[in-house]
Amino acid sequence: MAAIELRAVTKTYANVVSAVRNVDLTIGDGEFMVFLGPSGCGKSTTLRMIAGLEDITSGDLLIDGVRMNDVDPSKRDLAIVFQNYALYPHMSVRENLAFGLKLRHLERAEIARRIDGISAMLGIGPMLDRRPAQLSGGQRQRVALGRALVREPKAFLLDEPLSNLDAKLRATMRTELIKLHRRLGATMIHVTHDQVEAMTMGERICIMRDGEVVQVGRPLDVYRNPADTFVAGFLATPPMNLLPGRLEAEGGQLHAVTDGFRCALPRAYAEAYASHAGREVIIGLRPEDFHETPDRAGALGGLPVTLTVTTVEALGPETVLMASLMGEAGPEIATRVDFGREYEVGSRVTLHYDTAQIHVFDVETTKALARPLVSAG
Amino acid sequence: MPHTLRTFVRHAILIAFSAMIVLPLVWVLRVSLTDKLTAYKIPPEIGHLSLDNYIEVFRSFPFALWFGNSVLIAVLATLISLPFATMMAYAAARFRTGGSPLWIAVLASQMLPPIILVLPLFMVFLSVLPVDSRIAIVIAHVAINLPFMAWMMVSFFEGDSRSLEEAARMDGATRWQAFIRIAVPVAGPGILAAGLLGFILSWNEFLYALILSDSSSQTLPVGLAGLETHAGVDIAPLAAATLLALAPVLILLPFLRKYLIKGLSLGALK
Repeated sequence: MAAIELRAVTKTYANVVSAVRNVDLTIGDGEFMVFLGPSGCGKSTTLRMIAGLEDITSGDLLIDGVRMNDVDPSKRDLAIVFQNYALYPHMSVRENLAFGLKLRHLERAEIARRIDGISAMLGIGPMLDRRPAQLSGGQRQRVALGRALVREPKAFLLDEPLSNLDAKLRATMRTELIKLHRRLGATMIHVTHDQVEAMTMGERICIMRDGEVVQVGRPLDVYRNPADTFVAGFLATPPMNLLPGRLEAEGGQLHAVTDGFRCALPRAYAEAYASHAGREVIIGLRPEDFHETPDRAGALGGLPVTLTVTTVEALGPETVLMASLMGEAGPEIATRVDFGREYEVGSRVTLHYDTAQIHVFDVETTKALARPLVSAG
Repeated sequence: MPHTLRTFVRHAILIAFSAMIVLPLVWVLRVSLTDKLTAYKIPPEIGHLSLDNYIEVFRSFPFALWFGNSVLIAVLATLISLPFATMMAYAAARFRTGGSPLWIAVLASQMLPPIILVLPLFMVFLSVLPVDSRIAIVIAHVAINLPFMAWMMVSFFEGDSRSLEEAARMDGATRWQAFIRIAVPVAGPGILAAGLLGFILSWNEFLYALILSDSSSQTLPVGLAGLETHAGVDIAPLAAATLLALAPVLILLPFLRKYLIKGLSLGALK
């Protein structure tokens, strides 16, 4: 097992294109860290720099306190699972698993013991003598995982290993990976652009954009306290509603105001937001913070908001209502309500907003205004 | 155009083009099985068929020597070029060694009429190697074929093969081990196709073999050309010898096609 530390790690291609900039990050021994971000955000490049498959332009990479920048990937004792699995097509599954062990000159009996153990764990025993081309996508994925596990490396690097699987298999493998991490207690870094994977799998998630780390934290902490509008808009489906508005001081109380929405801010936040009183801001409202009854809208009882329903998406356990504030002309927002009540397009409904969950962002920097952290519970 | 008519036109065009390729071979086959007098008759006659010309090729000319020289030279030239071409292609695919100027130079050298290079090459050989020897022809063929084979193989080392090697490196393989144990076997069909093509090019090569050989090191194309004399062309034995010379190429072509197609779909494991 290993702790991995990145200090001001930067990757520049041809001295011009900066793929990763100044990444400072520590991944603890045995931690499950998820790198999350849209395509081209630098998450895979960061992972490949840790693996040694990309050179680090500047900064330091430390594994267990030892600088590894110039250590060959073959000597780092890390295992990687690639998105396309990268199974050796000319070898059987057994040979694929044994390849790394043979290179380390392990004894035959030990190789056989490890392969037996891993194939039993992953259920790939019956396919040991098959070639990768004869396996389904899910089976290849398991073999790729097995090839990483069988080596018992210091840490596992997973480069979008689930993205080629269909939705059902992806959900199954997600659970299996979580269980596996719990069982092995190994350091794992998982790269994904899928926020559901990130939320469900990571002990911590590191959100990246344009080669920079935007926010690092426990999934629910990040979810509840997004650092900026990018994180707020990236996590969850539907994402946070971001509305242009302003903060108004009135009667000794601060209000977040946008068309058709006027919310008195909880006193605990007022102090933190005071510097922006009277200024333009971006107001962030999570869809699930709208409730059908006031008793569920937090201790403060919720703010009644009247909306005109524009679209109804009944998902089964919940319903996503797209609705506009201030009649049809107002800004449209997404809300998530319990399944059970039927809504009609064009009807007016009153939902209750949990004001303690409101987010306010600076217009220019798009960063969240500092406020007391909302605990993930 | 109705469907049947369209099919008819399509088939007619295909048959015409196939005939352009096959008919000369059939003609040579006919000539090789008849005597000299029947061979020249128009309209063509089949006449009495026999294998006499094939026997005469071996009896009257050093055909076995030419054939042996051709096999030896083509095999050696291929065996020497293939590993170097493989490494050159790998280096170009992985590290962009030489960049595009290298490949422009390679292609440009292929565009030069071979005759331009023959005399300089002859002069070079004259000072360092025994000309009129098999080894001189082998080296000349390596020099001609190697860049072309490397150029052909570059694409086989690009694409998925790169991530396989990265997987091997992570598994603990050095770059050389990853090359030998992963990249080469995965690109195997492509390498084989390039090797077969190199063999065929060397087998058919005439100009360098003509300039650099003497009577003991003549290859088949040079020997066959020698059958055309001032006294005329001994057409029937020449036809027999031509077919015998074609035989190895005809045998290898289906393999070349198979491996070339396999090579093009290398590592396509999605």
